[in-house]
Amino acid sequence: MKYLGWDELLPGAILFSFDEEMEKDACEVLPENRPYAETNSHEAYVGDWRVLKPVYNRDLCIDCQFCWIYCPDVSIISRDKKMIGVDYDHCKGCGICVEVCPTNPKSLLMFDEHVENEKALAQWPEKE
Amino acid sequence: MSEMKKIKNLKEFSTSADRFEGANLLCPGCAHSIIVREILNATNDPVVLSASTGCLEVCTAVYPYTSWDASWIHIGFENSSTAIAGAEAMYKALQRKNRLPDSCEGKSPKFIAFGGDGATYDIGFQWISGCFERGHDMMYVCLDNEVYANTGGQRSSATPIGASTTTSPAGRVSYGEKMNKKDMVQIMAAHGSPYVAQVAPNKWKDMIKKIQKGFSTKGPVYINAMSACTTEWKFAPDDTIAVSDLATDSLVFPLYEIENGTKLTITYRPKNKIPVRDYLGAQGRFKHLFKPEYEYLIDEWQKRVDDYWEYLQRREEAGV
Repeated sequence: MKYLGWDELLPGAILFSFDEEMEKDACEVLPENRPYAETNSHEAYVGDWRVLKPVYNRDLCIDCQFCWIYCPDVSIISRDKKMIGVDYDHCKGCGICVEVCPTNPKSLLMFDEHVENEKALAQWPEKE
Repeated sequence: MSEMKKIKNLKEFSTSADRFEGANLLCPGCAHSIIVREILNATNDPVVLSASTGCLEVCTAVYPYTSWDASWIHIGFENSSTAIAGAEAMYKALQRKNRLPDSCEGKSPKFIAFGGDGATYDIGFQWISGCFERGHDMMYVCLDNEVYANTGGQRSSATPIGASTTTSPAGRVSYGEKMNKKDMVQIMAAHGSPYVAQVAPNKWKDMIKKIQKGFSTKGPVYINAMSACTTEWKFAPDDTIAVSDLATDSLVFPLYEIENGTKLTITYRPKNKIPVRDYLGAQGRFKHLFKPEYEYLIDEWQKRVDDYWEYLQRREEAGV
């Protein structure tokens, strides 16, 4: 993206969230259907902030949605009352989702960033 | 007037499409964005937002990005309240003159101002007071993390006794902040505001209920939202919700609401009251209080919290 100088910005330093006007308010359009502008931070990447990453285990999840509500970075993807996965572009690896997960063993666990998700799922701990 | 969004349980709530985006630059584990998400998801009406200078503002509007999928404005440190009051007044004027664009028909936008505790308790206080006196139909949300976290952790008038901050450091001669926290909720209630409440992000149901009540109230609404700050309160980022739980269960942050400036209702009574010591012990900013010479401050804390809880209960009972 071309960065504009201070005197090239629109007066008032306006940034747009969407490229085109939406017929409905954003709250009625799911993120995958939104015409995001490149100035929307949805298009940015903060995955490199992470040291540990949360890995999601579908088999243990009870879809309680605690992780969804307490995620500070909008990185838990939930559709139709079901938890689908983690958005690794926006997750900063804070670990709140793992802390609030109520299942035993937890259906979200923190692993080293370099561990592949399949390997992480293979070494999932047993029920305590 | 559009219908209030129905939120029966968390599963239903999770179908909301967020109007706040990730890849903002808030710290990992910051409670600010949890609060903002809960508030924005509580309504399906269009929202008009403003933010005072503070963590939320500098982290969600870093050039060239914006994290807001709604109209959002930032002007200065002190005037998020007046900015949104101006927008609200303009909307009303256009409505009166029948000059609103067709796309606004049948909609009732919500005007919300966000400010940190520095912008609310100190710098923007005069402006907020003015807005509440004029009676704009708006909601002011204070994200109360008890410190100027954005500029490196200076004390604000929301910082409680004993907290170590960069301008009230604890050490050999001092135990940190010496002044008690300003009771902003009661001050705003004293303005005669129709609805004033204290909320916490970990009690999401209580929070949604209060926010929706605030939205359906005509007039200026003040919401004091506890926002646990992982950086300045000094706890691990994954403990945000745990520390918030300690705060609400130890009654350091009692959850209550005040209607029409007088009628106080306590909305959350912890089943197991936790000693304040546990809340203080979970945070690095209070760790010096556990030295023998400062231990008396913890007892004072406990007494202060107990007395305030007693006071709230008496007020609730008397209905004044």
